[in-house]
Amino acid sequence: MKPVDKKEESSYQRVVLKNASPYHYLKVHLVLENETTRLSAVELKQFIITGLKNLHGEVGAALNFDVLKYDDDTLTALLRVYSKGLVKLWSSLTLLGSYQNQACAFRVLQVSPFLLALSGNSRELQLD
Amino acid sequence: MVRVKSRYLLCEVNVSDKSQLLLLDDRAVAATVRAAVARTHGDYGAALCSIRFSVKYLNAHTGIVLLRFPKRCYRLLWSALPFITSIETRSHKIPCFLNCLHVGGTIRTCQKFLIKYNTQQLHRMLPKCKDEEEKQHIRKAILNCSLAGETKEAFEEESESEEDEVE
Amino acid sequence: MSAELDRTPRNLLLCEQSSLLDEKNRLSAQVQQLHFSYKVSVLLPECSSAPSHLDSLLSSFSSFYLIRNLPIYELLDKDFLQKAVYPGGVYGLSYRTRIDEDNCVALMPNGHLCLSLDKDSFELLGFEGKPCRFNHRSRSRFVVSIDLTDSSMAPGGRGYLRLLAGLRSRLHLHTDFLLSHHPGGRACLQPLLLRYDWSEHTPEVSRCHLTNLSCPVLQSCDPHSLLEWLGTVDADVSRENSSSSFLSSLVCPDPNTTLSSALRVSVCGLLLPPDIHRLIQELRHYLERPLLGSWVSLTVHGFVDSPVSWGDSEHGVLRGGENFYTLLMFHDHSYQLHLATGAHDTCPP
Repeated sequence: MKPVDKKEESSYQRVVLKNASPYHYLKVHLVLENETTRLSAVELKQFIITGLKNLHGEVGAALNFDVLKYDDDTLTALLRVYSKGLVKLWSSLTLLGSYQNQACAFRVLQVSPFLLALSGNSRELQLD
Repeated sequence: MVRVKSRYLLCEVNVSDKSQLLLLDDRAVAATVRAAVARTHGDYGAALCSIRFSVKYLNAHTGIVLLRFPKRCYRLLWSALPFITSIETRSHKIPCFLNCLHVGGTIRTCQKFLIKYNTQQLHRMLPKCKDEEEKQHIRKAILNCSLAGETKEAFEEESESEEDEVE
Repeated sequence: MSAELDRTPRNLLLCEQSSLLDEKNRLSAQVQQLHFSYKVSVLLPECSSAPSHLDSLLSSFSSFYLIRNLPIYELLDKDFLQKAVYPGGVYGLSYRTRIDEDNCVALMPNGHLCLSLDKDSFELLGFEGKPCRFNHRSRSRFVVSIDLTDSSMAPGGRGYLRLLAGLRSRLHLHTDFLLSHHPGGRACLQPLLLRYDWSEHTPEVSRCHLTNLSCPVLQSCDPHSLLEWLGTVDADVSRENSSSSFLSSLVCPDPNTTLSSALRVSVCGLLLPPDIHRLIQELRHYLERPLLGSWVSLTVHGFVDSPVSWGDSEHGVLRGGENFYTLLMFHDHSYQLHLATGAHDTCPP
């Protein structure tokens, strides 16, 4: 065997990472009773923090999460949260029921440990 | 048969003025703990706290409190205890903090620990007595309130039956 | 109710490093095994417009057909079996069915038919299958996997008749169906297309030109931050944050460099592994040319609701449903491959 081949072979490496992702990513959509209401990204984050504070108290309100991207026309946001806080964030999103005295709901469209997966969701395929 | 498991937290209420301890009652302590849990862990914590939480024992003279929490969430509830800064009774607001001495699975283990702990404290404090007379005075007081052999057995049996209680 | 608030669903990431010059590399096998791809996105650094070879290749991806309201027993049609299934290379997947609530069907190029059915439908069908991995305790979902090329499944055979009777008279399974064939194209699918309402679709290509892209040093970056960075490029997420900003503290992993320009090309539709394989070969040639960027990345997303992910291994959705791989190829023919799956999948090959 040529030495070159040997070098190439030794460079082969296979690693399996189980549950190792540090973050989880959520794609959420806010549905408001009055569809003309608009929120800015800061207001959205503040609103989510209020929800966290109600459900999980001051410890919950201290949870770190990021609003990676927010589209204020469709009220759709990409959130990033440490994997440990996923359940807390998700549960408080579910229980957020009113924004400024109007009924609202968060639809969690997709949850994934990989940000890449959110940009390639086959459920969005429209053929007609 | 499987019993419902709990954790018992043996805590000491620390106050600056010892006489205030006598104002404490278990309902006030329970309400304070509930409020602290609700503040730090929100509705979720408050809900956990409403299931099987109770103040099992309160000694208003020494300020010892025994709290019962469900086993699966006691860590979460425990983490709220350091945030207690005062206990409000009907008329007074007593500034204090809770110091957790022991976490046990049964009331009996907590009792055993408490006896050991108090003995230790006694040994620690006796050398601080000012003169021989005071020492004797304390010895006498202890002997007066210790139980005779038979009654002691009866007491232990009682606590054992408490341990077997199935909820 | 569990008090463990910090547990998350299972996920798997498999990282491989090897070289394309290594004879034992399994890259093409791994590419061929992800049967149903939904989206391919390619990132070309230091490139302002795609070279013409690449452009023509991207627009020559095989087209696919959407058949409306197809009864599934038609897949057992004798003509269809002979023209499309036995020679191999047919790809079929039920469209707009969700694997966590509806019945899903996949027809694979090796002639396997895979049905993921809820309990009622499974019992109506009366064909052997096994409980689904992700709720095998409650047994509320079942997977029926049939090798159509097997002798017992030949038209007229016992298994064939039983399945046909089950699908035709007991379980009336109708669904919109995506179908494609490589290399036969429409001619092979003619037996089905003749009888049903169908439309032809070509994969949709979109290009996006990016400038001033901050980019980590890929060789030394850890896999999760690498995938996160590629995700931010794909989803157009801003990385211009400081660690103290209120909205987002996402930053490009250190150490990083800045790319003056980059090109992102993505293709959407039912994409076939042979086409993706050709694309990878073309990208290899592209890398061999001097004075261009020293790497390219290619991400292939599988269908979230496909009953299989890699090969015949079962796929489920529940919370995530992701099954994708990212291939990073470098100038010196070495490559990094990251395969990721979600909560209810077996480990990729």
